Amino acid sequence: MSATQEFRIKWGMVIDLDKCTGCGSCMVACQAENNVAPAEDGLNRRRALNWLLVYRLSNGKPFPDHDIAYLPRPCMQCGKPSCVSVCPVVATTKDEEGGIVSQVTPRCIGCRYCMASCPYHARYFNWHDPVWPAGMEKTLTPDVSVRPRGVVEKCTFCHHRLMAAKDRAYAEGRDPEKLPDGAYVTSCTEACPNGAISFGDVNNPEHKVHELIKSPYAFRLLERLGTDPQVWYVSRREWVRRLGDNYLNNEPTKG
Amino acid sequence: MLDRRGFLKFVGGAAVGTLATPVVWKGLDDLSIWTQNWPWIPRLDKGNNLNTYISTTSKLCPSACGMRVRLVNGRPVRVLGDESNPLSRGGVSALASAEVQLRYSPARLKRPLRRTADGTFVAIPWYEAEALLRAELVKAARDGGLMCLSGDENGTMNELLSALTVAMGSSDFYLMPGEAQTTAAAWKSLGGRGRVGYDFARSDFVLAVGAGVLENWGPVVGNRRAWGRARPQDGEPAMRLAYAGPVQNNTAAGADWWLPIRPGSEMAFLMGIAQLLFAQGCPSAGVESFAELAAVWTPEKVARATGLAPERLQQVVEQLAAARAPLIIVGTDLGQGGEAAPVILGMALNTLLGRVNQDGGLRILPEPEPVFPRAMSYGDMMAQDFTAAVRAVADKKRAAPSLLMIYEANPVYAMPRGAGVEELLGSAGFSVSFSCFLDETARRCDLILPSAMGLERFDDVNTPFGLGEIFYALCQPVAEPLYESRAAGDVLLDLARLIGLDMGYATFREALEARAASLGLDWAGLMKGECAISRATLPLESLIFPSGLIAEALEGRFIQPEKGALAVATFTKLAFGTADSAIPPFATKLITDAELTAGELSASMNSATIRELGLREGMKIRLVAGEMSLPARVRAFEGVAMGTVALAAGFGHTNFDAFNNGKGANVMDLFTTVEEPGTGLAVWRCPDVKIVKA
Amino acid sequence: MEGKNYNLPADAAFFPEGVERCSLLRFVLHLVPIVLLGLWGGYAAFRVLASGLGVTALDDYFGFGLWIAFDLGVIALGAGAFFSGALRYLLNIDKLKNIINLAVIVGFLCYSGAMLILVLDIGQPLRAWFGYWHPNVHSMLTEVIFCITCYCLVLIIEYVPLMLENRQVVKNRFAHALAHNFHLIMPLFAGIGAFLSTFHQGSLGGMYGVLFARPYVFRDGFFIWPWTFFLYILSAVGCGPMFTVLVATFMEKITGRKLVSWDVKLLMGKICGVMFSIYMVFKLIDTVAWIFGILPDAGMTFNQMFYGWIYGRWLLFAELIVCGVLPAYLLLRARYRERPALFYISGLLACTGVVINRYVMTVQTLAMPVLPFDRWETYAPNWAEWGASAMVFAYAWIVVALSYRYLPIFPQERELNKK
Repeated sequence: MSATQEFRIKWGMVIDLDKCTGCGSCMVACQAENNVAPAEDGLNRRRALNWLLVYRLSNGKPFPDHDIAYLPRPCMQCGKPSCVSVCPVVATTKDEEGGIVSQVTPRCIGCRYCMASCPYHARYFNWHDPVWPAGMEKTLTPDVSVRPRGVVEKCTFCHHRLMAAKDRAYAEGRDPEKLPDGAYVTSCTEACPNGAISFGDVNNPEHKVHELIKSPYAFRLLERLGTDPQVWYVSRREWVRRLGDNYLNNEPTKG
Repeated sequence: MLDRRGFLKFVGGAAVGTLATPVVWKGLDDLSIWTQNWPWIPRLDKGNNLNTYISTTSKLCPSACGMRVRLVNGRPVRVLGDESNPLSRGGVSALASAEVQLRYSPARLKRPLRRTADGTFVAIPWYEAEALLRAELVKAARDGGLMCLSGDENGTMNELLSALTVAMGSSDFYLMPGEAQTTAAAWKSLGGRGRVGYDFARSDFVLAVGAGVLENWGPVVGNRRAWGRARPQDGEPAMRLAYAGPVQNNTAAGADWWLPIRPGSEMAFLMGIAQLLFAQGCPSAGVESFAELAAVWTPEKVARATGLAPERLQQVVEQLAAARAPLIIVGTDLGQGGEAAPVILGMALNTLLGRVNQDGGLRILPEPEPVFPRAMSYGDMMAQDFTAAVRAVADKKRAAPSLLMIYEANPVYAMPRGAGVEELLGSAGFSVSFSCFLDETARRCDLILPSAMGLERFDDVNTPFGLGEIFYALCQPVAEPLYESRAAGDVLLDLARLIGLDMGYATFREALEARAASLGLDWAGLMKGECAISRATLPLESLIFPSGLIAEALEGRFIQPEKGALAVATFTKLAFGTADSAIPPFATKLITDAELTAGELSASMNSATIRELGLREGMKIRLVAGEMSLPARVRAFEGVAMGTVALAAGFGHTNFDAFNNGKGANVMDLFTTVEEPGTGLAVWRCPDVKIVKA
Repeated sequence: MEGKNYNLPADAAFFPEGVERCSLLRFVLHLVPIVLLGLWGGYAAFRVLASGLGVTALDDYFGFGLWIAFDLGVIALGAGAFFSGALRYLLNIDKLKNIINLAVIVGFLCYSGAMLILVLDIGQPLRAWFGYWHPNVHSMLTEVIFCITCYCLVLIIEYVPLMLENRQVVKNRFAHALAHNFHLIMPLFAGIGAFLSTFHQGSLGGMYGVLFARPYVFRDGFFIWPWTFFLYILSAVGCGPMFTVLVATFMEKITGRKLVSWDVKLLMGKICGVMFSIYMVFKLIDTVAWIFGILPDAGMTFNQMFYGWIYGRWLLFAELIVCGVLPAYLLLRARYRERPALFYISGLLACTGVVINRYVMTVQTLAMPVLPFDRWETYAPNWAEWGASAMVFAYAWIVVALSYRYLPIFPQERELNKK
């Protein structure tokens, strides 16, 4: 309902799906970085709390023509987020330079309307209080508050890292609004052993992602719904690109 | 005068008035925020925002990840990739990523435990544990009955353990069975000297046969970094990858081509490649016997054995021929107990393609010089076959050890159920486990000594298996050992001194310093996370193709399985731990239906196989092979070869922690050990299974 | 009560003037199973508040489930209160005074019950009032929170004078005066109620219609309001009054006494027939526009909207035809409406249709995969969710029972039951 706000800086992620092998390193790094509690029984995929989730994609063909791909799904930080306008208590906003959709967990009342609105399943609810095995709470980073039960949370593009990068820039006398490429990257970007994830300001020609999103193989998830995500995917495989959005049979694949 | 009515008016007015001020609302607001800081929700310890970083190397991850450990006020909180590490270049595996959290695994051992007469464990102080072990060592020194098993793959620790074993008058020092031993055996069969590495990073076409080069084989983080860098998002790939194996695993997912072949048909596949290469005019001078053996392996015959379409085999050979720097890597998914014959063929093919000692080829590396006097040489260690030794004890062909010492290994869990590990532990005079975790093996020992983890001790990595160059990196403690755990190296050096053995060093750190000095490395640099790399190779001497051995290994194989029987293929994900560890806390959320269905092991089959057997998805079944059986659930997955069932390895722990116990079943329950025809190597094999509806 | 009129129940002094009620013992006994049900529900509610929503079957796919469907359902059914109120007080359809009291009570119960459930349903009940303190004016849910709470207050204001009319209470001069004054200002509250209720009935529909990334419920609309905004209002006014009639009839069956005259019921039915028919016309147009507009725009087909039996086409058929067009037609045509069996069946069907609508828009929306590589998920509420809902049911039963026994809510009762 609210008009889309344009930002000078637009933090974006580009994930090369042909380079993702589904190892899960990004998911582990994300949980550790953002103080997500481990789950003894992580098997319930509808309850396991993950800011970043790797989906398995199939080309749907029988053996031996079967092909497989993996798709890491962070929060899309949509340009037109379906979640922000629906939140009754302004607990999630998109109003900061850079375009990261915030999640204010002390404000959140846990109505889960944002979860219903998000087609990416990027939002997770704390069904229980988080529990760390005895002593493991000592490994909590000082950067991200622990969330109690009853609130919704999601990927923030490691927003605390943006703050830290800006602080460093201030301290070193550089312009915090002109961070160089690589000065701020998310934990998953950093962890991926394959280098499948690139991160930067897509509006800044000096950042690699600025060019990467122009690839003819680049696409975004569910683009036609109008969410305008800030996460791009790249694949040379047409079937993978076609799974990025819903297509009627007669429609050609974009990208 | 205030009457009753006036008073009521006043109270009412005050109440309404207060509501109009922010006092109530602001108070409520604060209250509702601060009542969320329940005492059971951990508060963040900001530690004065004092961040420090220590570079070290992962001993947990077999790929020897370079790690930058972030500490907040001295407290390790994160494992980050180390950009300056020449091997992992900032990448970090899912396993290493959880290493600081794994320190606090509920399975972590807190203090020494001694088994009592009734089989339970009691905690004992270290001095008592040491005295106990010392007495056992003295006894074992007298009868030469020490047997030592090490779970370390590539460190100086193995030299200490082997030196101690030898000093105690025994030659029974073993490494946990791994790909390194198989590869060394294969290399030896060809008459090669030194050790073999694969220069993955510099190849432009890698054909991986069975080896999960992008998930769990060799220096995998280094492989993946190189592979990723060779495939820029905005350019043409500088490296192509073909993966031949029965399951479309994570390596297949990254490969340009997945070549589905039946489990156990790797040799047929490799012979087919040889046949085509020879047919295309590859010179057979010096390897006539190879050419002769290969001649019958036409693509059609290979197709019958492997299930791979002939044109796909031809395509691979064309790619090999067209590549500038092709490389063939043969391995197994489990990375343990593999057969040597396919590896020999892989090496022979690399030789045939002229790839030995080339950049991006198979490279012959010099063996490291031991720093511990009396330590076994690398080659001798590789020649030691634990599987065979266990078998011999179980079959009463040799005496049981009077003292069994296990260092950071979990053979009870990680070796075939039919291998006889439990029998070995039962028959050993005394057994001791140096372990970080109270795992399946530790629980069967007489004495359990809590080990400091890799992040809490000095240790090293000396050329991880598979790497095509000499690589040396140091592990240093980033934190004090938790609880009462201690670095096993120092404990052993102390004990050795007490029983009058001179190991040459007072502490393990001294040994590492000597190692660094022998390699000409600067200790201070190593402590900063610098690594040493050398591209030195040994010259290629003439290799002899062991045609008799290969002929024998080929004999009687590739028979179509019995009707209704399925070949078993495993797939392993590093995130779910290794043979010596288990699923780290965060990784439970990585488990999908590929691994477990409704809490039970997924038995993945392609839909044609499911139809053929009259099964349904989600059905509860048992996989039965002779007396062995495994509970599972049917899962349809088109990325599995015909007549094959794919199972995830690394599940079914019974004695680890809440993140592991009761999740699925252990594929090792289906495995047994057999002698490989030709090489005589004790290899692990899973017989074909029948499916019984449960 | 066979002929034992002279032997009055112990609490007869509290009964409305000139009516008969069963013995106190019988009344209390009939409440026992209801109270037990309520206690079980209360336990469920306690568990939810004490241990968090982890005890429910809700999950990250089904953030909304039984409770939200229940809330939307009862709020639609409770619409009889505002709509009959508006007709009675604003349009002066005097006949409706014979059922308006019950409509108010049913409305109050539906709304207060929904609020009870909402307190359980939000993860942080202690922050429930943030909707007022940090309102997001763009959110339909903010509008819902505002209107529901305000309207619930209005319903209390409408209910209080009824309570004051108890034979003993009304003897108190103050209570009498208060009740009288409340009655005088009732048209004002009926007006406010109509305004608030119309808006939040609409916002509840708007809540779904604005979900532009959920093709199952997304709808275009007029200005800031998606079509579902208007459809929800129409469907609520189309079924709410009928629900009040059904409740009255159910009470008649239970008590064995005539409470509302047939002609009043018929009038309610006629109103519903008209409103529900208007609703169905627009709903059918909306459905066609959805199939041929919204879905293809999202790259989806009609067939993709259904899954297996649990989310099958039968639900749509049931909602639109069996519980939609059919009751609308039957209630609209006097010939059918005037046959009691058809009348009541139509009412039941219409109410069912609206409940199905609220259910599928809540649950099927979330069950349907929007990401092409995701899959359908299914949801079944567990004991905690059923329990809490049962608690509200028990609460409503008890309040209705007490109101019937002690308050003069049916002006026609004495007349209709004259021997």
